[in-house]
Amino acid sequence: MQVTTTSFKVEPSNQDTVIVRIGKALDFRNAAEFKSTCQTQVRSGARNFVLDFSETGILDSTGLGSIFSLYRQVSPLEGQVVFASVSRPVQVVVQLTRTYKVFRQFPSVDSALETFE
Amino acid sequence: MGQNSILIVEDEHTLRRLLEYRLSKQYDVRTASNGEEALARIEERAPDMIISDIMMPKMDGFALQNAVQSKKETSAIPFIFLTAKADEQSRTKGLRTGVDDYITKPFDIEQLLKRVDRLLERTKQFKSQLDARISQDFSQRLIPKNLPNVDDYRILFRNAPKEDGGGDLFDWIEVGDGTYLFTIGDVMGKGLQAKFYAFSFFGYVRSTIHAMLPTTTSPAKLMARVNQALIDDSTMEETFASLLLIKWEPASNTITYVNAGHCRPVIIGPDSSSVVEHSDLILGLDHETDFKDTVIELKENMSFVAYTDGLSEQVLSGGKMVGEQGILDHASRVAGKDDPIDELLTSILSSSGTPEFADDILVFWLQRTGLNWFAPFANAG
Repeated sequence: MQVTTTSFKVEPSNQDTVIVRIGKALDFRNAAEFKSTCQTQVRSGARNFVLDFSETGILDSTGLGSIFSLYRQVSPLEGQVVFASVSRPVQVVVQLTRTYKVFRQFPSVDSALETFE
Repeated sequence: MGQNSILIVEDEHTLRRLLEYRLSKQYDVRTASNGEEALARIEERAPDMIISDIMMPKMDGFALQNAVQSKKETSAIPFIFLTAKADEQSRTKGLRTGVDDYITKPFDIEQLLKRVDRLLERTKQFKSQLDARISQDFSQRLIPKNLPNVDDYRILFRNAPKEDGGGDLFDWIEVGDGTYLFTIGDVMGKGLQAKFYAFSFFGYVRSTIHAMLPTTTSPAKLMARVNQALIDDSTMEETFASLLLIKWEPASNTITYVNAGHCRPVIIGPDSSSVVEHSDLILGLDHETDFKDTVIELKENMSFVAYTDGLSEQVLSGGKMVGEQGILDHASRVAGKDDPIDELLTSILSSSGTPEFADDILVFWLQRTGLNWFAPFANAG
C-alpha cells in the first residue's frame, strides 16, 4: 500500500527497505512529520531507508536533524539510511556537515536499491 | 502543527454527539458524560480546552472545574461552561476564577465555534509570548559578556539571536598560562526546543572540558569525549550539533583547532585568504568519529574568522546563498577596518538587499595585530 502524507511518499521496496520521496523541502516546517512517518515504518519492520532527494530544493538543519534521528534509530538494528539523486542544495548541506561519511550516496533510487537486494 | 484537542463534558447524549460532530471538523475531540469520566480522560492526556456542562450526575461541572484548577498540570487549560441555567446566580457562580467563558443553552453552535476559536487563539498568543521571553533568556545565557584581552591581538565577537532561531553558542575559558580555549557551536533545530538543547549541550561541553583539562588540552581529544557523552546519554539523543573547539596560544602565535561539522573558518592574511580545509563529522551521529587537530600559525596581520550558518546561508539578492566563498570574499575586503565584523555584516546585508539576517548569526574574529612598531607614530599623531 502506498502511504501518502502531505509531503512524503513512502514506497516499500522489499520486506525491510523503503523509499521515501522527500518533496521540495525538508525543513523546520515538516521535519516532525518526516520523523513520525519514518517511525511508523520502523515499527512495521523497515530497516533500510532510501531517501530520494531529486526534487529537493531546501534541506535545513532541522530537516537534517530529523534524518539523523532516523539514522540513530536504525543503525542499532543494522539498518542503513542512504541518499539518492542528491540535488545541489542538499549536496551543500551534506558537504558542510561532513555527513557523506555516514550516508552513502547513489546517483539514482534504483542504484541505491541494488545494495539492499 | 498539531490539531488542538478539546474535551467535551456533557451528560445529554444528543447534545454531546452534536458538539462532537461539529467540533471534530476542526479539532481533535474527546467526550465524557460526567466530571468523573472527564478527569479520567484528562489523566490519559491533557486537552487544550475543556467545554463542560454544569448539571451532571456523579460529578458536576463545578466540581470538575475545581479539580482541574487545583492541579498544577491542568490549571492553565481554558475552560468553558455550558449550562441551561440562565439565571444570574449561576452565571455569577460560573464566572469564577479559572473559567474563561460561560455559554447559556440553548446556544448557537456557530457562536460557540467562534468563541472556542478565539479563546484558543488567545491562549496560543500568550504561550508564544512566554516562549519568546524564555528564548531570549536562553540566548543571553549562551553567550559570555566579556572577551580575553591579550597584547598584540584583537578579538571581536558579534551575535544576533533570533526569537525563533536555533541554538548558537559561544564560550571561552583560560585553560592554563596564557592559553585559551574557545567554543563555537550550533545545535540543530529551531525554536525553543533547540535553545533548550543548546543550553543542555553547553553544560555538557563545559563539564567535559573541565573534567579533561588536567589530562589534555587537545581540542580533538576533548571533541571525541563530548561526542561520546552526547551519544551515550539517551536524554540527548535528539541533539545534533556542530562544534568548533579552538585552542589559542598567543605566546607561540598558534591556533590548534578541531571542527565537528561546523562551517569552516577562514584565514584572512595580508596577502592571501583561504578556508581552513580539514573538518570532521558533526556531533551526535557516530561514536566512532575520528577527530583531528589542525594547527595554524598566525602571522602578523592575519585573522582567523569563525561564524555560524546563519551568515553563510543568508540568501543574496540574486537568489544564491553567501556560501564559503562569499564569506571569504567579504571578509578579505573588510579585514583592515576598525570594526571588521560590523563591516562584514553590513557588506553581506547590502548584497542580500534585506535589512536583517534571516537566521541567528554569530561571528568570531581573532586578529594578530603585530603592529607595535607603528604605535609611536599613532600616539604622536
